Amino acid sequence: MSNFLYDLVTPLFTPGIDLPSGCEETPRAQRQRESVPPIRVPNPSRLGHRSGLLAITICAALQGCVTATVDEMTFMEPTEGIGDASVVIMGRRHAPDYETEFDFIECIGDHIRRGDTSITVLHELDFINMMYPWFEPRTAPLRTDDIDKLLDHQRVAERFTELKLEYMIWIDGSTVETNSSGSMTCGVGPGGAGCFGFGTWGNASDYEATIWDFTDEREVGRISANTSGQSYMPAVVVPIPIIAPVQGTACDSLGDQLLKYLSAKI
Amino acid sequence: MIRALGVATFILLLAACGAREVVVKGNFPQPLMDRLPLTLGVVYSDAFAQHEIFDEAAGRAETDWLVKTGDAQVEFWDTLFGGMFEEVVRISDHDSLHAHESEIDAVIIPYVADLQYTIPLHTNVKVYEIWMKYRFRLVPLSAIHDHDNGDLTIDPAEQLADWTLTAYGKTPTAFLQSDEEAVNLAAVVALRDAGANFATSFTRVPGVAAWMEGDTESFDSE
Repeated sequence: MSNFLYDLVTPLFTPGIDLPSGCEETPRAQRQRESVPPIRVPNPSRLGHRSGLLAITICAALQGCVTATVDEMTFMEPTEGIGDASVVIMGRRHAPDYETEFDFIECIGDHIRRGDTSITVLHELDFINMMYPWFEPRTAPLRTDDIDKLLDHQRVAERFTELKLEYMIWIDGSTVETNSSGSMTCGVGPGGAGCFGFGTWGNASDYEATIWDFTDEREVGRISANTSGQSYMPAVVVPIPIIAPVQGTACDSLGDQLLKYLSAKI
Repeated sequence: MIRALGVATFILLLAACGAREVVVKGNFPQPLMDRLPLTLGVVYSDAFAQHEIFDEAAGRAETDWLVKTGDAQVEFWDTLFGGMFEEVVRISDHDSLHAHESEIDAVIIPYVADLQYTIPLHTNVKVYEIWMKYRFRLVPLSAIHDHDNGDLTIDPAEQLADWTLTAYGKTPTAFLQSDEEAVNLAAVVALRDAGANFATSFTRVPGVAAWMEGDTESFDSE
């Protein structure tokens, strides 16, 4: 839901917009700032200049803000792109207390596919099923040294060759709710239904992408994205959700950096 | 209209009192492995093929749970064994026991030794979990005896290997996902984990390793 709202609203904003009050910055090596007011607005392509400005004004008044910090350390970038080779993006799921969400991995994959249609990004679940049982939480390689052990299995090595797998990207992290407060009461009567109250909750995402070069069997980069934001839900008869797209922003931030790394066009 | 609503509400309240039932279903991939050059017989006992766990509600706030894993167990292990061994023969009666006597290298018999599950109501953690413990016996064909009533029994003195393995599956709570769907998904994850554990450890089980090296005597003397 939040991704959907984010997609609707993002095109209305240009980079460099000031963060609204209440959004704190943290000093990091490399930083992206995004202010994303997640309310439903009409498709900007259909808006005139005035209505666009009006929408921005309404958004600015009702926005739930998201702060994003991205750190990147990559090397051996494929300057000519990856050609007809393929990439797989997978989530880490071996920790007992959290697991990287499947839809987050799908979101990053879609982001890269949209950004450069020449890049073949394999679907995570299809890949895990094709390679069963070698990429289950219990058996997935944790270090690049483990690639050799995998390739000892002839059928596994043959499958990698068939897939032309060049890069394996591991995403580790999750999105959690950090706080919540407020209350809301809803009622139904003969004359109609309605809600009254106010709720607010915070979300924080913390993800790290590790890029493995499969041909050279070495790690060639790490990118991390930390985002946080506060969502609000005031209700006077009708509840109005003002959602901070925390996970969607993390997806776009990581997706952008990975796209820059993999694509020769960007 | 109001009467219909009343009846619907009453039915919903009654439904809430009944046991919640999950018949585990999933799609299981074949393992990507170099097949071991063995013809393996497999015996699924009735307890295994119809395995289910019934958990009675502890209080008025809870409901009974019935989790049926039998069909999924058989489907999953058939797929896994089929991908791990050159040939797999299901042994279920006198005819199937004697039809492949000369081909079968050994017979494996899986058991579900224990199964536990938790839902967020039990733990206040937003995760559905299933934990399973399996016991496997590998025996020569001569250890299987058939009886007049059709039952098959195993002579434990003749076994080649006897080992246990555990499996774990969890799935987080998700929007618009029912408890039943989440428990099913956790069970499928646990089955896949059991398969991954079995596939990667089978040849390292001491009794199995000794048998595969043709050194069954060293195992018997342990």
